[in-house]
Amino acid sequence: MLRKNARPRALLFSGAALALVAVLVAVLAGGGEPSSSTAATRTAAQAVTGPRFGPPALARYREGSPHVTSQLNTYAVQGAVQGAPSTPPDELPPVSAAAFRTPVAAYRAYSVGRLRLMARQVAALSSALAADDRAAAQTAWRAAYADYLNLGAVYLEGPVAALNDAIDGLPGGLAGGVASPRFSGLHRLERGLWSEAPLASLAPFARKLSADVARLARLIPHVQIDPADYATRAHEILEDAVRDQLSGADAPWSGAGVLGTSAGVVATAAVIRTLAPILSTRESVLPTVNADLSDLRSALRAIARAHGGELPTTSELTRLQTERLDASIGQALEGLAQVPGALETTRALAIPQIPAKDARTAR
Amino acid sequence: MSSVSRRSFLARGAALTGAAGAALATGARAAETSAPTGPPTAPGAAVEGSDLATVQPFTGAHQAGILNPAPANATLLAFDSLAADRDTLKAALQALSDRARQLTVGGPVPLLEVDAPPADSGILGPDNAPDALTVTIGFGASLFDGRYGLAAKRPAELTDMPTFPVDHLDPKRSHGDLLVQICAQHRDTVVHTVRELTRTVRGALQQRWSMDGFAGAGRGPSPKNSPRNLFAFRDGTANPDTTDASLMNQLVWAGAGEPAWAVGGTYQVVRIIRMHVEFWDRVGLTEQQNMIGRVRDSGAPLGGTDEFQDPRYDLDPDGKRIPLDAHIRLANPRTAATANERILRRGFNYHRGFDDAGQLDQGLLFVAYNRSPSKQFVVIQNRLNSEPMTDYVTPVGGGYFFVPPAARTAADFVGSGLFA
Repeated sequence: MLRKNARPRALLFSGAALALVAVLVAVLAGGGEPSSSTAATRTAAQAVTGPRFGPPALARYREGSPHVTSQLNTYAVQGAVQGAPSTPPDELPPVSAAAFRTPVAAYRAYSVGRLRLMARQVAALSSALAADDRAAAQTAWRAAYADYLNLGAVYLEGPVAALNDAIDGLPGGLAGGVASPRFSGLHRLERGLWSEAPLASLAPFARKLSADVARLARLIPHVQIDPADYATRAHEILEDAVRDQLSGADAPWSGAGVLGTSAGVVATAAVIRTLAPILSTRESVLPTVNADLSDLRSALRAIARAHGGELPTTSELTRLQTERLDASIGQALEGLAQVPGALETTRALAIPQIPAKDARTAR
Repeated sequence: MSSVSRRSFLARGAALTGAAGAALATGARAAETSAPTGPPTAPGAAVEGSDLATVQPFTGAHQAGILNPAPANATLLAFDSLAADRDTLKAALQALSDRARQLTVGGPVPLLEVDAPPADSGILGPDNAPDALTVTIGFGASLFDGRYGLAAKRPAELTDMPTFPVDHLDPKRSHGDLLVQICAQHRDTVVHTVRELTRTVRGALQQRWSMDGFAGAGRGPSPKNSPRNLFAFRDGTANPDTTDASLMNQLVWAGAGEPAWAVGGTYQVVRIIRMHVEFWDRVGLTEQQNMIGRVRDSGAPLGGTDEFQDPRYDLDPDGKRIPLDAHIRLANPRTAATANERILRRGFNYHRGFDDAGQLDQGLLFVAYNRSPSKQFVVIQNRLNSEPMTDYVTPVGGGYFFVPPAARTAADFVGSGLFA
């Protein structure tokens, strides 16, 4: 289930391209060539940004830090930072909020398009239920679920939040759990489709889903999206996918976690595409992110190929496939986490101090 | 099954008491009348001058492991009772307390005939050092169902822990008839205790789930600064003062409205809270601090310099300094109206490798004590249901337990009031 988005981000340290001190590379790689296929497929990202392990090149260390005393450590691993000022690196000037108007409009149009695709799959699902064809119903459900997760960034305020709960809600927080009458959307259908439940008993849920999806498609064009929220979603969609999909938590009956993760990648790429015109003027985030997303899509394609052309369930992944996917997603997320900082629309405000004369100490 | 099991754990208890009974009983009396940090009297129980010699008394008014500061290591060990009848349950609880008391006092391992399995697993050597060990025994609501005729003894507010909207509870790590909280300064002491206690009650109490925890080291700058959780923020800053007995009566110890046997006990809330640490580590520092409401390094409330400084919400009604939905502000608004909602937290960090999806499985074993969950913990939790931090945590297990008063004397046991 898409969770409520965290607070808009305040200004971050400006993201610096990650760089690596040669000594650390030698240590990590054991001086030899990486031998696993996982390491070998990283070259696309490396070609753009260079190796990307270790602390950011612009990281500074506090003067007089008690534990940064070894010259060897300081020079070999952390770079020559002794005596560096304790102030963080300078920040880029903020992006104007107006610059987000076009990206957000493009995203809204994209979302409506995805919901149209989803509506078609929900109709196919209803037909399959009527025909008592469980395999066809499951196929339509998977497609509908992926279409929904392709939205990635439904803004969960007010009526949109209620619709999201109706469409994609999980039984966990409901009184009575799976027996709750409020448990009625995609996951209610999922539970029925991947059990012995008679298909006819699921038809009412499919009808309600169809109506909810149509209602959401009418609301989306009017949803306001805060620029900081939008920039934040660039990495949070995939963070959520890891937490909720790849973990197997959100689609326990169908095992569609890999499909859900893949849908999150699609959504992330869609958001990044809309942001590209702004991002391309900011630091070096965009090439890294694009290379990482491309690498991630290759990993997913390879997994699908190995499973007869379709993404497997989370439990069908081999250990190597899980590791490959984790490595790609983890690397992509480290880059995506720089996006919100690169797209700040305001400068950080100094935190007001607690007035000194009133500063009481609790004990 | 029951008669055999009962005989076996009673016999084992008798062997331990018989072989080393004199030494242990002497040690117990001496330790319990001396200061909590006094050395054990059993010879060679600990290296002199080592903190291994620290004793936390098992008997008294309240159980240990609640007010005393959390040591470095803990295990939460939930059991289900498979005892066939009330007498077997009673005998098992008696044996559990007896063995726990012996271990908290420490002393030489009794010797049996060499062809018999040793009375003690021996993993701490021939002398068990007390190591500040506490064994805190609590009961879940399920123990008060029809099986043992205990329904009338159920503490007034004891229920199964409800599922809160943010929860994703794993039944394999939730609830239980008993919860035993084992704390000590060293990991091997905790592990030894787990091994000895499970053996003691084998056949009657079967382990249901367990979680290992650890406390952040005291890294200063001053000894009173709180240790950090795995989000790197200091945790426990706003705890009520455990040395203030009247405050503890007000907030922690259950009294009016409880069955007589339960007075002086407390409600223990256990929440196994998974922290999505990779995600957290990719969040900007400003956002992290705004979610918590504190400065990460010092632990001071935002805008302050000292961990224990009053955040002065009264001077910041619009949340310009500390956001209105910051964790510390929702958890403890520090108003007169919310003063009695405060709870005593005594949690531990956990790390249990990584999950099937390759993500680190780290988090917080949230353990809190309060005299009335409905007026304290639940009120606070409901305020926190929509805090921004919920994106980064998933409660995956735990339960509500009632921790009764301690064994009053060396002959008493925790839960004896159930059978009075």
